[in-house]
Amino acid sequence: MIKFGAGNLRVPKWTRPVYVVAAGQSDFRKRYPEKKLEEICMMAFRMMLEENDLKKDPLDVKGLINLTVCGEFADHFQDQLLCEAKVVDYIGLDPLYNVGVKTGGATGGSAVLMGATTVASGLSDCTLVLGWERMDEVKTWTGNYYIATAACKDFETRLARNYASYYASMARRFQEMYHVDERVRAAIAVKNRGYAYMSPFAQQPGKHTIDEVLNGNIVSDPLRFLECCAMSVGSAALLLCSEEMAYQLTDNPVRLYAAGASHTLRTGDRRHMEIPLLPNESATQYEKLYQEMRINDSRWPGFESFAAARFAAWLAYRMAGVNDPLEDLDVVETHDAFTISDLQTYGDVGLRPYGQEQDFVTSGDCYVKDPKAGKPGKCPTNPSGGLLGTMHAVGATGVFQCNEVFWQIQNKYDKFHGDPGMWSRFGKKKPVDWESLQIKNAKRGLAISHAGVGSHVTCAILEKAW
Amino acid sequence: MGNRVVLKTSPAIMTQEKDAWVIQLPRFGAEGNHFHTYGLLTPYFKGLTEGKLMATKCTNAKCPIDHGKGELWLPPRADCPDCHQPMVWEQIKNPTGYIYTFTYVERGGQGLEIECPYYQIDVKIPGVATIVKSYLLDREPIKIGDKVKAGFRTGKDATYTALDLYWELI
Repeated sequence: MIKFGAGNLRVPKWTRPVYVVAAGQSDFRKRYPEKKLEEICMMAFRMMLEENDLKKDPLDVKGLINLTVCGEFADHFQDQLLCEAKVVDYIGLDPLYNVGVKTGGATGGSAVLMGATTVASGLSDCTLVLGWERMDEVKTWTGNYYIATAACKDFETRLARNYASYYASMARRFQEMYHVDERVRAAIAVKNRGYAYMSPFAQQPGKHTIDEVLNGNIVSDPLRFLECCAMSVGSAALLLCSEEMAYQLTDNPVRLYAAGASHTLRTGDRRHMEIPLLPNESATQYEKLYQEMRINDSRWPGFESFAAARFAAWLAYRMAGVNDPLEDLDVVETHDAFTISDLQTYGDVGLRPYGQEQDFVTSGDCYVKDPKAGKPGKCPTNPSGGLLGTMHAVGATGVFQCNEVFWQIQNKYDKFHGDPGMWSRFGKKKPVDWESLQIKNAKRGLAISHAGVGSHVTCAILEKAW
Repeated sequence: MGNRVVLKTSPAIMTQEKDAWVIQLPRFGAEGNHFHTYGLLTPYFKGLTEGKLMATKCTNAKCPIDHGKGELWLPPRADCPDCHQPMVWEQIKNPTGYIYTFTYVERGGQGLEIECPYYQIDVKIPGVATIVKSYLLDREPIKIGDKVKAGFRTGKDATYTALDLYWELI
C-alpha cells in the first residue's frame, strides 16, 4: 500500500505559460545506412525551422534558441556516450547549453516535459527539444538484449531478454480479468498500422485484417508480431517558447502542459493502492471493480494498469483544466509499443473507466472514422500511425507524438502527410487511395509517453491558443 | 526437445568479498568482465544455491505502512521503502504459490539462457506482498490459478543468478 504525504500530490504551477510553435521530423526506418545520425537529426531540425510557416527566417529563428534538451534512450545502440554533444555541434548550436534526458521509452516525453520547464522557469525563452534513436547498428535480437537491460538486472532480465514478454504477462492477466476478446487487441494493430499507411514518415504501414494479426507468428504469447513495434531509426524536433516569443513567431501557437510520474520497474512489486480519481470519476464508481478484485486476488494497478500513467494524467488534467477527457480531448496519441499497452492506457487516462477499456475500441470512439458506423469517432487515437505503424526511434518517440498532435491542432495534417513532395522526399510514392486523417476542429490533444513496464510516464496536453 | 525446460548456461564466476557475493558478467573476455555485487541481497542468492527461499520483511513498529507487521518482500529488499529501517530475513519453508499470470516465450533476446519455448510465470505466494517473476520447468498447457512449487538449482547446478529459482506444477 502506497500512502502519500501532505505535499506529495501538489499540482505543478509553472511560473509562466509555455507554447509550441514549430515541429519537425525525419522519416523513420528499420535501417538507415544512407545517413549518419547527426544528418538525420538535421532533417528534423530543418523541417522544424523551415516548414512551420514561422514569421521569421529560419536562421533568425535559430538565433532565438537558448538551449537544447535532448532525448536519447540508450547509449548501447550506437556505443556512443555524449551523443548529445555530437548532434548539437552538428546542427550548429554550440556553445549553447544542452542536456540529455533519459527515462527509457518515455525519454521523448520527458525531454518535452523538461524542455517545457526551462521556458516555464525563465531559464530559456526558446528551447529546442530534439529526440533521436539509431537502433540499426545491431541485429534485432541483440537490440532486444539491449532493451531488456531496462528490466531489473538481478531478478528479471535473464527471464527473457525480450521486453515483449513482460507486456505479454500483463496482456494475459488483463484479458482474463476484464474478459477481453483478442480481436480488440488485433483491431488496435489494424487501426494504427492502417493510419501509418497515410503517413510518409511511417516505417511499418499496412492494410492488415484482424485475422491476419491473430494468425501471425507469436513473439510472446498472447502477443503476435503485428502487435509489437519494431526497432527504428529517426529524429523529431519541437520548438518551445515563452508567450511573447510564441506570438512573435506565429499567429497559431499551441499551449503546452505536461506532467510525469514513475512506478517500479518490476510489475510484481506494485503494491495495492486506491485508485486516484480523475475529475470525471466518482468514489463510488469503482466499488464493483474493487469487489471483483477481492474475488480475483487482484490489486490496483497490478498487472492490469499503470499507476504512472494515471498519475501523469491526474496532474496534467488539473494543470490544463481537463474535466472529462472523452469530451475535452479531440485527439490522443498513446504509446502503443504493444497493443496491450495501448488498451491499458485508455483506463489510465480516463477515456473509459478501469475494467471497460475495450469498449473504447468496440464503440468506435477510438477511430478518426469508425469503420462500422462510418462516422467520426469521439476521441481518435494515434492518427499518426503510432509506434506500431510509424516509428519507435525511442528517444524521438514522445517528441514525435507531440509533433503530430501539434500539426492536428494547427490543421496541418494534410500539409505534412498529404503533400506528394513529402512522400518523394523520403523516396516513397503517395498511395492513390490516401485519405486525410485531419481531425476537424481539433482544439486540444494529449500525448502519453511511456517507459519500462510503466516505470516512467509523461502526459502532455496541447491546446489551441489563438 | 523434452517436456522439461533446461538452461543453456554454465555457472557464473562468483567471488565473495566480505559478506557479499560478486558475480562476473562476461563482456570482452576474461579481462573485460563486469563485477556485479549482490550486496546486502547476497543471502537471497546464496539461499537459492542451498535450496532455501529467503525473503525480507519490515518489523519496525513505527513503520507508517506496515506497523511492524509487514508481509514478506520477494524479491527481497535490505531496507524498508516506507520507513527506511533494515528489513529482517525470513525463510519461506516449502514454498508454493499459484500462477498469477504468465506468458509462453517463443523467442528470447540474444544471450537468453533458458531454452525456448518456456513459460515465464508470475507467482503469488501466500504471505508475500509482491508477485515473483520466474520460470516454469513444465511445458504442458497452464492457466491462471494453477498451483506451483519452488525448485532450486543447488550445488554444481547452481548458476549464482536468479535462474537458480524455478517452479514446477504441483
